[in-house]
Amino acid sequence: MKVNTLTIIAVFSCLLAGSLSSFAQTSNDGPAASSQRQKTTPAAQDQTTPDKTTPSPAENLPNAPSSTTAPSLTDLGFPPEATQGNAKIQALLDKRTHMLKIHQRLGLITTIPLVAAIFSSAGAGGHNSSSTGRDVHLALGAVAGDLYCITAYYAIRAPKPPGTVTRGPIKFHKAMAWIHGPGMILTPILGAMAYSQKSNGEKVHGIASAHMPVAIVTAGAFGAALLSVSFKF
Amino acid sequence: MNKKILVALLLLLPTFAWADGQWVLEQCTLTYHAAHPLHESQGVSHAARGKGVCHAGQCDFLIAVPVKSFDSGDSNRDLHMLQVTRGAQFPMVVVRTRLAESDLTAATIHADLEVEFAGQTARYKQVPFQLVTQGNQTRMSGTIPATLADFKIEPPSLLTIPIKNDIPVRVEMTWHPL
Repeated sequence: MKVNTLTIIAVFSCLLAGSLSSFAQTSNDGPAASSQRQKTTPAAQDQTTPDKTTPSPAENLPNAPSSTTAPSLTDLGFPPEATQGNAKIQALLDKRTHMLKIHQRLGLITTIPLVAAIFSSAGAGGHNSSSTGRDVHLALGAVAGDLYCITAYYAIRAPKPPGTVTRGPIKFHKAMAWIHGPGMILTPILGAMAYSQKSNGEKVHGIASAHMPVAIVTAGAFGAALLSVSFKF
Repeated sequence: MNKKILVALLLLLPTFAWADGQWVLEQCTLTYHAAHPLHESQGVSHAARGKGVCHAGQCDFLIAVPVKSFDSGDSNRDLHMLQVTRGAQFPMVVVRTRLAESDLTAATIHADLEVEFAGQTARYKQVPFQLVTQGNQTRMSGTIPATLADFKIEPPSLLTIPIKNDIPVRVEMTWHPL
């Protein structure tokens, strides 16, 4: 009888201990769990209510972590600034991407009159040139130059997040701008001089004769810049 | 005397049954893979941190990594990745999973993952991971079959051609118990 009593006491003790333990966990972890959810949702205050049709982790994943024991983001020791969203930086990145997308599109469009200007140069200079050929070449060159300036504007004015270090193919792409940039200023000036000389019936001479070599170098640097960000070398 | 021992054991039984264990992520390499018709790229991060808490035979694991820690070797691409994934607004990728403690000794496990990324939550069921235990270290490796659509990310494009939807993430982790 004494043994039975002891066994019953022991069983009740176990059950009581179990109940108290689970109750203690629930009562202790209740607020902790809710704060954990707030903390594990990065930048809750900055989120524009993400289009989540999914409930919290523990609610519907078959073997989702239980809210009572699951570790939280704060347990991992990340600095608070690393886990909190920054709407300002996001807006800056959005603006940057928007401007660089325009830069990319305009750069591709610029390629068309630029290539056409190169091909039309055959009818603008040399022995078989004509005034029509020169005018076509001038018009294509002018369009290419204008589009180039607008393209460059979007690259130069695109904001850059602080602390960004330039690495990779973009370094070459930017380096090429130091060649095709001055080239795109110099080429039309030399072209205008050559046009004037040719229109006066003169042979192209002096610095104006550098128009074609400068244009070739400029177009080459432009093409290399374009390819450097398009293909992996 | 034996009865007293029995009673004591019975009283202590819950304590043993609910003994908690913890795991800490020692090393981690995460590699995402993005493909475009003109070229392919990979971004690598070693900045993940993780923790596992075991309770009543179940272990809850949490792994988190800053989005901006992924390095593809091209600063322009990394900034663009940060923008399209809304990485400044949602700076962390958080992965949660729950595994049976007994599974941690198996050679292969299939984990149900919950991934928070870009302000969205995606679930991947039965993702296979290979486990190798050496000493007190457990190396875990596998690939999460993530896609851009899972996180409502607009595919970035180059020369007006968008990248492929699949962005599998290779996971190499080394855990050790505390």
